[in-house]
Amino acid sequence: MKFVISVLSSSHAPSTRRALRFAQAVLAAGHEIIRVFFYQDGVLTASNNLVVAQDQQDIAQQWQAFIAENELDAVVCIAAALRRGVLDQTEAQRYGREAANLAEGYQLSGLGQLHDGLQQAERLISFGGQ
Amino acid sequence: MTTLHILNASPSTATQLKSCLRVVSIGDGIVLCGEAVQALRPGSAAAEQLLACQQTYHLYALQEDVQARAIDTTMVSVTLLDYPAFVALCVDYARVNSWT
Repeated sequence: MKFVISVLSSSHAPSTRRALRFAQAVLAAGHEIIRVFFYQDGVLTASNNLVVAQDQQDIAQQWQAFIAENELDAVVCIAAALRRGVLDQTEAQRYGREAANLAEGYQLSGLGQLHDGLQQAERLISFGGQ
Repeated sequence: MTTLHILNASPSTATQLKSCLRVVSIGDGIVLCGEAVQALRPGSAAAEQLLACQQTYHLYALQEDVQARAIDTTMVSVTLLDYPAFVALCVDYARVNSWT
């Protein structure tokens, strides 16, 4: 079965960890993840500037590794990302910012990509709140 | 066509559970995860609301969240889920509604 997973809370929210464990179980069961869509505070998971305390799990890093290992299509809402300071090289140049911090494996794009994913998928599971 | 409702907010700070119970149909499923599992706490107002109409729906809860909060579920008819079981439920139900 084809899934789209959306992540709506920041990387230290329990729901973002739950989303990752769910996504891992989806692939382990032989299903397909069409797209992971990061929206609202969820875009912070795609920043490579996060520094997590040593006694805590780095869920953003785990998401990044999971996406890379499975070559998933990870789309970050561009409007939500810009306002939270998550920029790729193109946007950093466009707005005259010193550095880009979008982690490898993610791409900035619009809400249209969520809609497009839904056209192909049979299930959308959203993880937000706490 | 049955729906799986996924709840994640504490019943004491959000109206998710109340709103969900208003629209839940016969044969639907409710999955409690995160702070939403607090609704299983014996004797709480939320637990009473849940149990009042439990013949309508199937009740599930994410096991790790129940265990992390040391909630006693022996008095409630609830199926505890690990992640593979959670995924399987999302496949089994015709629709999934994530309350966020």
